[in-house]
Amino acid sequence: MPTSSSASTPAATANRPEFLISYLKSEQQGEVKLKTLREVKNQIIGNRTKKISYIKLGAVPKIVEILASAHDSDLSILVQSAATIGSFACGVDAGVKAVLDSGAFPHLIRLLSHSDDKVVDAGARSLKMIFQSKLAPKYDFHKDENMTFLLSLLNSENENVTELGASIITHSCETSGEQKALCEAGTLRRLVMLLEGSLNQREASLDSLAAIIKNNPEVISKFVGLDSGRALKSVTELMKDRYPRTRLLASVCLIVIGRTSPCYLQDIGLRTKLIMLLIELLEEPGRVGDEVPFALAGLIADNEDLQKLAFEVNALDKLCNFLHRDMILAKQLEGLLLAIAELCSRLEICRERFLSLQALKLVTSTLTHDCAEVRTAACICMQSVTRSVKNLSAGHFLTDTMVTPLVQLLHGPPISLQVAALKTISNVVVNFTNRKSIFIQCGGLKELVQLSKSMDSTLRLNSVWALRNLMFLTENSNKERILLELTASTLTSLICDPEPFVQEQALALVRNLVDGGINSIEHVFIEGGVVVNAVGRQVRSASKSEVCIQGMYVFSNISTGSELHKEAVMHQLLPEADGGAQSVIMKFLQCSDNQLRVATIWCVVNLTYPGSPGSSARVTRLRDYGIISQVKSMVNDPCLDAKVVIVHVLKSIHHSSCIISVLRTIIQHVVLQFRVKTVLEQCTVFSDAAA
Amino acid sequence: MSLFRIFISQLAEIENMSTSKKVITREEWEKKLNEVKIRKEDMNKLVMNFLVTEGYVEAAERFKMESGTEHIDLATITDRMAVKKAVQCGNVEDAIEKVNDLNPEILDTNPQLFFHLQQQRLIELIRNGKVEEALEFAQEELAPRGEENQSFLEELERTVALLAFEDVNNCPVGELLDISQRLKTASEVNAAILTSQSHEKDPKLPSLLKMLIWAQNQLDEKAAYPRINDLSTAVLEDPAV
Repeated sequence: MPTSSSASTPAATANRPEFLISYLKSEQQGEVKLKTLREVKNQIIGNRTKKISYIKLGAVPKIVEILASAHDSDLSILVQSAATIGSFACGVDAGVKAVLDSGAFPHLIRLLSHSDDKVVDAGARSLKMIFQSKLAPKYDFHKDENMTFLLSLLNSENENVTELGASIITHSCETSGEQKALCEAGTLRRLVMLLEGSLNQREASLDSLAAIIKNNPEVISKFVGLDSGRALKSVTELMKDRYPRTRLLASVCLIVIGRTSPCYLQDIGLRTKLIMLLIELLEEPGRVGDEVPFALAGLIADNEDLQKLAFEVNALDKLCNFLHRDMILAKQLEGLLLAIAELCSRLEICRERFLSLQALKLVTSTLTHDCAEVRTAACICMQSVTRSVKNLSAGHFLTDTMVTPLVQLLHGPPISLQVAALKTISNVVVNFTNRKSIFIQCGGLKELVQLSKSMDSTLRLNSVWALRNLMFLTENSNKERILLELTASTLTSLICDPEPFVQEQALALVRNLVDGGINSIEHVFIEGGVVVNAVGRQVRSASKSEVCIQGMYVFSNISTGSELHKEAVMHQLLPEADGGAQSVIMKFLQCSDNQLRVATIWCVVNLTYPGSPGSSARVTRLRDYGIISQVKSMVNDPCLDAKVVIVHVLKSIHHSSCIISVLRTIIQHVVLQFRVKTVLEQCTVFSDAAA
Repeated sequence: MSLFRIFISQLAEIENMSTSKKVITREEWEKKLNEVKIRKEDMNKLVMNFLVTEGYVEAAERFKMESGTEHIDLATITDRMAVKKAVQCGNVEDAIEKVNDLNPEILDTNPQLFFHLQQQRLIELIRNGKVEEALEFAQEELAPRGEENQSFLEELERTVALLAFEDVNNCPVGELLDISQRLKTASEVNAAILTSQSHEKDPKLPSLLKMLIWAQNQLDEKAAYPRINDLSTAVLEDPAV
């Protein structure tokens, strides 16, 4: 073993932050000050912990003061203080805040017009660091003098200064107004020129180009038209650059263009190349590898064609392979999970492949990752995968190993994670096997009920949604347990929630509760019928048709029950005294919402079902309110003719993915017509009997 | 690069002709080579690129005077070489300060390189028998980096293991004390500085020679021709028929 040396030298103590900071007082001699500055700078560069301890000791304002009071000829002091300030602003939010709070900004800007290149470099680098942080102030492009200044930066001979200009754009350009202003000021042309510059300029320029054109078709078409298409061509060429980061940034630019103006990303060859490139870049270490999966997710989001293409070039296998690796950093893992989520969001073939690769286990294990972003991404990924109806209905997802960590996540925070977990749970608990009790037993039900009382409406919405799915086609014993945990009074207040989307889910929950025979229906009549009364109140007063639809289905299900149940529905839907008041049934039959008309007709069908002794009396009452004649008039309603509907809907088809919704509309219309006929037939039975 | 293209087109040509090996005599070969034109300026740029990337400042300066070839600011090469040399000599702290003077962004935005430099500093402390200082340094400076990154932690553990052995030269982690470790760290810093200056981190000449060898290997399957076996002399050797 090497011989041991003496204890820490005096020099080691002299280098302690507490000690050094006393030398930063501005009355110190220039030499000492400079030496101390350098020492502090060298200690903090690359070292987060040191930065934080210096920030806590209040070093930043002291250094800013040195910069502010330094004379223009104190080159070393200017350079060293600016560099130290820049390092404080690099990678540590508290540092950026301290730098901004101590008013460093104008002093750093002042350095940009210094005659010495090294001073300009130092100032520009530090400002660049500040603008790379989210905390940096937004730059107002609408002020003329600001735009002039920005252009002077972009046109500078100094590389660091041009990069600063590009960073300002990347950081601050958000609205379409800002994008337009930058475009009109001619920044696009200058940035495209910088693509020919050095590596650093090229990357800074690609970054800010993406910011200027993002989601803005007008600016995109300007960009594409620049120099008769040469700008777009240069970016496309950069996909083949030797530097991985340049290749990534060029792809991101093309992705941004393709998402907003798909016409420029039609070429199947280019699309394939883009996907292949991103997959290849996954292997890159560091920032590139971390950011690639996010770019890939962005490219294929909401685009089935691209998802299919990505699947065909084995993207899913490659992404899943990464999950098997050890020591994968949080950022990249988050991106990988999100990319897999996008791939599996629509295509069943992807979900099948995902499951056959045994990747579900790996994703499940990331549900307990240290980093909240990774846990959220894992939830989103599982949400996509659990859309597989085949596997869902077989109960493949409702296992202890999967449900337990999901339920743990419901404790939160953050809310975004809780919401993601709720959405996944909503999928998982829809199944037709009797395994729902697994979820209830591991404490999931308790958590859902707890969240349904949350102050946050998104949490209420998603927890009620999950409860609704848990209630779906489950056995009566489970229904009892759910209701016992939830209580009639909580359910009532959810039905009357201030948010219509919560009301809708609460009513859908009740609809599932009362679906399944007399025993199930009885549940809404407990405690003096608070639940059924609340449903009635909502149906009579709600303005959103989504809420009324679910309410009408509740009544439709209840009216499959006993004579008492049917009468209760009549009581809720027809005004007691016939003082000329219109029934809600009438109102809904005349409304323009197809789904609401269907739900209402269903209800009338069940109320007038001939097997019940009181049906004849109910038909009479419905007739008194003009409801039967309204139904009759609907038979001849031309807009209900299936053929007409089909022709009408076919006209509006532009896109293959519309087919599903087209079919749904057609089926709705056919069902509606069919139901109308059933009602009339049933009514005829009674008229005949009466006659 | 045009030389390479000729190779490829010849390759295709030969492939089309027949499956049996074609023999190309030295005469034919030299005639074909004479048809390839390479610009003098391109050659000069390649040489300059090599000198600058490898850090031969004086040679680069002389070459500039003689050939008039442009290059990046020579002062930056001097600075870069000083950093490299400092690491090679074990003066890591000095090297870090020099890099930070050159461009503070390099180590602030490159955690892996920063860690490797700090690790090298630790290795030097251990080499010089400063055990307590080494432990303190590992704890203060390196342990927090290990918390941020799992792979750093493993490397740190390997390095600290040096302290546990009587005979460091014959221990499982002994190679860390080897001079090659310094060279590895030095070339990592060198590459990072070059990248920060938007300069490629490898000279182009070696990859050109690699392509030459690759192309010869490809051609070997199709034809017998005068081959360059010794790159340093570039003598064409007669085909073995």
